[in-house]
Amino acid sequence: MSSEEQVRNALRALAEHDRQEEAPAIVEARVLRGFRQARKQRMLRRVGIWSVAIAAAVVAVLIVSAPKARVEPLHAVREPVVQRFEVVVPESSKPVLATAPRTVRPARREIVTQFFMLTDSTLPLDRGQLLRVRVPASVMYSVGLPVNPDRWTERVDADVVVGEEGMARAIRFVGYEQ
Amino acid sequence: MNSTDAELLLTALAGREEAFAELYRRRQGGVYRFALQMTGSVGVAEDVTQETFLTLLTRGSKYDELRGTLGAFLYGIARNVVMRRLERDLWTEPSDEMEELADGSDVLEDLTRRESVEQVRRAVLSLPPVYREVVVLCDLQDASYEDAAQALECPVGTVRSRLNRARGMLARKLRVADRARCMG
Repeated sequence: MSSEEQVRNALRALAEHDRQEEAPAIVEARVLRGFRQARKQRMLRRVGIWSVAIAAAVVAVLIVSAPKARVEPLHAVREPVVQRFEVVVPESSKPVLATAPRTVRPARREIVTQFFMLTDSTLPLDRGQLLRVRVPASVMYSVGLPVNPDRWTERVDADVVVGEEGMARAIRFVGYEQ
Repeated sequence: MNSTDAELLLTALAGREEAFAELYRRRQGGVYRFALQMTGSVGVAEDVTQETFLTLLTRGSKYDELRGTLGAFLYGIARNVVMRRLERDLWTEPSDEMEELADGSDVLEDLTRRESVEQVRRAVLSLPPVYREVVVLCDLQDASYEDAAQALECPVGTVRSRLNRARGMLARKLRVADRARCMG
């Protein structure tokens, strides 16, 4: 018998020996669990996209029907409010070392994400309106941000950029730092 | 259910669990055996099977029936998962199994003690991965050259030449093993 035939026979024997090998049932259970999770994520992503679309539509209607109340440059960053006041010291008291006016930090400071585009519009966006809305956290997931699936239904603040033509063009999300 | 693989995949991607389960049951054996014969490890083969089918959920929309069978598409995914695993294992502490395979003399001694099927399995596992995968696909999984070429993302001619070379290497390994057994 030639060596090539011997190799073929040997491989045939191994193939025959392994023919009944299959993944155990636990693997199927894990795969099907993964399928259900992926399906749930896809569904929530779809819901998120629809939420943004609906929010954008509502915003567009508000802009068209109401007088423009607030116009901000597109890249304006909201500054935290700092309240200033003077401390009145009674004359009879001991000298005060620090006399500089004190500032009180606000309880929460805003942190914003970058803007995520909502449309592929080629119209220039030199000016726009920035509107604060509340959306489900799943919207963050829909633009690619990591979100714990358990928190997808929680509401988060977001700024929607509406172009001069009335279309929601971009969104960013707002968090708060203590 | 008499649906084709492609139909099952489409239905599964639309969210139907029964279609995905049917497709899994139909194709898991081939993927599992491919991973087992490539790695020689039951645990790794299970992980590869799981990862392959979960990857199918995200990449399945890229499958084109005109370019090849779903079996070949799945082998392609499984092959990438296996290769990543083999590369990762190069940088980690080698297992006893890997150490045995790394040393030719150990393989030789081991071959003298085992049944012929296990000798062949070890000889296949000791091939470099690029030769091992063509042997596993074409000789052990009975994949066509075209399917193998699609899975390995190379021309059919490359599959043929690698297969010839791999069989030559196997013949030498098995000859040495036989000689050792006769002497023992």
